[in-house]
Amino acid sequence: MRIKPGGEPFFHIGNQLGCLLVHGFPGAPLEMAWLGDALRQRGFTVLGIRLFGHATEPPDLLRVHASDWLAGLEDGYHLLRGHCSKIVLIGFSLGGILSATIASALELDGLVLMAMPMDLPLLAHRLRPFLPLLRHVWPYRTPPQGSDWWDKEAEAQNLHYTVQPIQAVGQFFDLIQRLPTSLAQVRVPTLLLYSKNDGSVPIEHGSRALDALATEAKELVWIDGSGHNLARDAQRHQVFQLVGDFVHKVGMPV
Amino acid sequence: MMSHIMPGAEPFFLPGNRVGCLLAHGFTATPQEVHEMGIYLNQQGYTVLGVRLFGHGTRWQDLARSKWVDWLGSVEDGVHLLSHACDQIVPIGLSTGAMLNLILASRMRFPALVAMATPYDLPAIPALQVLYPILPLLKWILPAYKKGKPDWRDAEAWMARVQYDRYPLAAVYEFGKCAQALQRALPLVTSPLLLLHSLEDNFVLPEHTERIAANVASSDVRVQYVQNSNHVISSDAARQEVFALTATFIQAILAA
Repeated sequence: MRIKPGGEPFFHIGNQLGCLLVHGFPGAPLEMAWLGDALRQRGFTVLGIRLFGHATEPPDLLRVHASDWLAGLEDGYHLLRGHCSKIVLIGFSLGGILSATIASALELDGLVLMAMPMDLPLLAHRLRPFLPLLRHVWPYRTPPQGSDWWDKEAEAQNLHYTVQPIQAVGQFFDLIQRLPTSLAQVRVPTLLLYSKNDGSVPIEHGSRALDALATEAKELVWIDGSGHNLARDAQRHQVFQLVGDFVHKVGMPV
Repeated sequence: MMSHIMPGAEPFFLPGNRVGCLLAHGFTATPQEVHEMGIYLNQQGYTVLGVRLFGHGTRWQDLARSKWVDWLGSVEDGVHLLSHACDQIVPIGLSTGAMLNLILASRMRFPALVAMATPYDLPAIPALQVLYPILPLLKWILPAYKKGKPDWRDAEAWMARVQYDRYPLAAVYEFGKCAQALQRALPLVTSPLLLLHSLEDNFVLPEHTERIAANVASSDVRVQYVQNSNHVISSDAARQEVFALTATFIQAILAA
């Protein structure tokens, strides 16, 4: 088997209102699994995809193109369409970037973007032109140690690669460059969730995302007492409630 | 932002009962070639999910980047996606899709499995047999080669087909590695099997199915041949017969 335990995508059939859940980089569907359970308990249909190259082996991400991830979102969307008349796209971190990027190509009823970075550090900008060459001699980056988790038990269960393939980082970067354009094309109701204590996404990214969104129906909610992993960390129940209420609001009646 | 998946190449889900049919398409093709079969099985009451294999149904350059284990990952994803809605999963694959399903079946037992037009090895094209070892070099000169003249009996089905018009050499090499993995996997397959093949398949000869039947460990192996069809038996002129044989087999196995 290729997929690591906990890395399995999931699909729970409920009512005609579908939630498409997209995890972050370099994480796994597990990041969204508890949120999926909470949404399922409210009656919604839930599908959590596995992004290409995740939850298998890090070398898979040495070959990745951003289009592989975006096509993966489309796959999930089409599968959900087999059962659902309305669909809300819910993405975390890179999953949020991908969701915002593809949103205008899909028929959606709502969009939830959680802890979505709007930019990368200056060093990434400086290095980007050299990455196509650099990745051959420097295939993996080890992110700095240090955790922003509040719930250490949830952190211990987390499934992700401990290295970041440079090829994938480059693709991540290119998607971020396009993000303002992508957000300016979003016409559906959008909920933004950002953590006040995020170790990787600076606090001003939340308001930047809010400003960049074209839709009038947008809301930014700050979560207090959680790290970057909003759907897993200490304030997850607040997140489940907020997302569930939003899905209900934009989708009901189906 | 435009869609990345070719129109008509989208994976599909058709809700039904607690038996899930997992449909996997072939090399350079798309879910389109098993879609009509999925609709037929759904009409029999089954839940149906048709996966899109990684690198397929987008641009052939994506396939040229892919490894056969990526395709296996796509089928594995499909098993997991069906696992909550269904108590029993029946993998149904065409050609490479059938190879991948059989490899999965060497690691988990399925109540039934249907393998259509399954290659045991590389197709018997002399040039391919000779050049196979140097494909990883040749791909730098010739990244892909165009498909030849179609040999379809059903011209309309051929027109409706959604696929790449060429074979990326790097992916052909991966196909060969997939066949090697299949040969290692077959002695571990114990699931009840239906093997379907066209007697007129001149791309993957019917002998391939015989070799698969001879190498699996399953005690229940049924082999059925059809006629008036090319390699793509789920889509060409004999498809209705293929659908009916498949449905009858699943029904018989699950009733037993």
